[in-house]
Amino acid sequence: MPNFMKSSLTRISWMTRLTFLEAIRQRFFAFLILLSAALVLSSVSFRFLDFGHGELKFVCDFGFGGMFLFGSVLAVVMSAQLFFAEMDNRTALTLLAKPVSRTEFLVGKFIGVWLVLGVFIFTLSTLLGIILWARCQELTATAIEVGKAPPELSITGLLSYTGMQWARLGVVAAMILMVASLARTFLFTVIVGSMLVVAGQLQWLAQETLLKPGELNFFSKALLSISTYIIPNLQQFNIGDALTLDHGSVADGAVTLALFSGTCYIVVFLFIGSLIFRQREI
Amino acid sequence: MKALRVQWMLAIFCLGLAGVIAELSWTKVRVSIPEMGKKQIEPSLGQGMLLGILGGFRTVVADGAWIRSYVLWERRDRAGCEALMRTSCLLDPRARFFWENTGYVIGYDMAHWEIRKRGGYAKVSAEIQDDLFKKYAQHGINVMDEGIKYTGGNVGILISAGQMSELKLKDFSQAASYYKRASESKNAPWFVHFLCARALWESGETKKAYDWYREVWQKKLSNEDDHAPDDLEHLRFMEDQLHLALLQRIPRQSWEKNN
Amino acid sequence: MNTGPAITVNGLTKDFRIGLRGLKLRAVDNVSFEIPRGQVFGLLGPNGCGKSTTLKIILGLVSPTAGKVSILGFPFATTAARSRTGFLPEAPYFHKFLTGRELVAYCARLSGVKPESVNHAVEEALVLTAMTEAADRTIGTYSKGMLQRIGLAQAIVHDPELVILDEPTAGVDPVGSAAIGQMIKSMKSKGKTIVLCSHLLGQVEQVCDRIAIMDRGKLVLEGRVDDVLTRRDQNIITVENLTPDARRAAEEVLAQHGAKITSITHPRRSLDDLFRELVTGSRDA
Repeated sequence: MPNFMKSSLTRISWMTRLTFLEAIRQRFFAFLILLSAALVLSSVSFRFLDFGHGELKFVCDFGFGGMFLFGSVLAVVMSAQLFFAEMDNRTALTLLAKPVSRTEFLVGKFIGVWLVLGVFIFTLSTLLGIILWARCQELTATAIEVGKAPPELSITGLLSYTGMQWARLGVVAAMILMVASLARTFLFTVIVGSMLVVAGQLQWLAQETLLKPGELNFFSKALLSISTYIIPNLQQFNIGDALTLDHGSVADGAVTLALFSGTCYIVVFLFIGSLIFRQREI
Repeated sequence: MKALRVQWMLAIFCLGLAGVIAELSWTKVRVSIPEMGKKQIEPSLGQGMLLGILGGFRTVVADGAWIRSYVLWERRDRAGCEALMRTSCLLDPRARFFWENTGYVIGYDMAHWEIRKRGGYAKVSAEIQDDLFKKYAQHGINVMDEGIKYTGGNVGILISAGQMSELKLKDFSQAASYYKRASESKNAPWFVHFLCARALWESGETKKAYDWYREVWQKKLSNEDDHAPDDLEHLRFMEDQLHLALLQRIPRQSWEKNN
Repeated sequence: MNTGPAITVNGLTKDFRIGLRGLKLRAVDNVSFEIPRGQVFGLLGPNGCGKSTTLKIILGLVSPTAGKVSILGFPFATTAARSRTGFLPEAPYFHKFLTGRELVAYCARLSGVKPESVNHAVEEALVLTAMTEAADRTIGTYSKGMLQRIGLAQAIVHDPELVILDEPTAGVDPVGSAAIGQMIKSMKSKGKTIVLCSHLLGQVEQVCDRIAIMDRGKLVLEGRVDDVLTRRDQNIITVENLTPDARRAAEEVLAQHGAKITSITHPRRSLDDLFRELVTGSRDA
């Protein structure tokens, strides 16, 4: 590996370390992870609300909901907060006066945040997996006794879904850092970032409309197309039910393609963010 | 400056490329997510958006919406009740319960609400009443059709749709087609074959009913532990009604009771 | 070995756009100066004169509207220039959960110090800034003076050729301030070039070889401290036991040579010196 790449990776890794250490210490992170864990654990008590969905699906929903909702909040707030903390405290001044490029700064921040999000997601996923596995064992025993088909549960599917959620949160974090590179305040970044996340979750409506042609005129179609490119379709990562409970219904290569799509968006958003950040005056 | 412009153009190009990949990914992934075509969500666009925003908790919100719909059912609020019930269906489209019960409420209850709203059974003519029953029954069956599609052909919904076709529309052919699909599922209950045969019989296709029922009995039901004696009894009745010759009938079984 | 100036600033101009109408505020106006290697250079001026903006441009944190800057022969805002530069910002803030040692080590790694040399470099920097004892405490427990010293340590850990200090003694007591002055002299003795921005003119006068004074974005004065401060048309003679008769005789002799006594006062030591004498119990120069 060329020297300049080695030294660049070293700097990025040190930026990542510091960002990770700073993020993992925050009370906000601890609060969200405890809240999400409590939500997942409480799903077992709320089983009576089940209108025939299947208990495992009900428990999965709680877990997936926690990962989605609190994960999104964490990704938006933490990414913005860690960026603006450096700007407002002027530690960015000290860091960027060193031979650390703006790109390395941004990439280091992103990886640090993404690792924290990984801790969040994998912790919840482990907890959810344990609960699901335990209930699945009990339900299987009961089903065998009464001669019914046992419930299906795929732990591998759950792991795949966890990976997809981590990728989704990575896309969100990269998007927020891109906005932060341009924005002047933390509040603006959080508000705009949240709107982009919601837009990303609703992007599937635009994609569905485009896939069923014949209803739109040229300009509407062009506008929708542009929006589908700029704002990532975050719904493509939400196939938890199919992966965990109904494995056969996931198309071959769907997970890989979704992960690849997520990676592309992460790279693009960080690239755009670094182009903007390079012009920013510290 | 030029280098910066080139970099921006590259960024925009890469964004476009990422968008193309995302589109490809969505076409593969959407198979696994219950399909919400634009037509289906138009009546409940708010619910479609809700579906989009929720990454999980769909089951919980679906349950909440369903419980809330009971309140509107009590108030005989037709539009509100249907909207909330559809929300539950959209949020958890693989669950039989919501589709089936939405179909029931629409097909069996709403016609009566409409009649009462128009002044009651004494005021509304029998003709109009009949039209309303048929209209709402068909509407209920349409909902169940959607449910059949999303659940991948759930047997319970098929049977319910057949039942509604029989009872409310008096359309035995349509009922038979639903029962037939149910009988072909791997989870078909023991009674559905008789329902199908009976519906075909009632629709006037007596020979067709017998031939089909006989085939099912010979290929499938007779292999069961008890050889499905009730179904054979129904077949014997059909043979008698059709005045079939001895050689045209199912051979007598050794375990069969003598009449 | 490159013996050119440490910093060359040529025709530097910086305009800021304000408000929606894009009105321009000229923060730095056609400033040019050179800082030779191995000297301590003081950049002075009132608040808002453009010295911080000038420093930021030199460090590559802000881009100039016009003009050129080179650092140790390298174009400014390049990795090559920044890897040879150390910077202590005004009122430094560091991550509170890090210990002093961790911070300096982290900065060493960011600045390209080889892994096998990091520990040694960190120890040297801590010794120079007298922070060895407090190095293993978290930065959140540090006093203002300690923060400045650890800030200095992170600025010099990678043994840069050029060190830029923005208000290094702001808010620091006279003892601490003198200690920082000593550190600056020590760095100079090692051949480093130091750029010092300070409002403490007394310290600047003691420590700096050259100064530049800015006002409203323009450079109003630049040169060696001795040259700009010495009034060569006047002399100071310190006399012991001067009686009124002796004074009259001296005035007559001087008058014969065309000279005149303009004032006679008693020498004063500075409050700084007195304070240090009383607090540390020793006379410092």
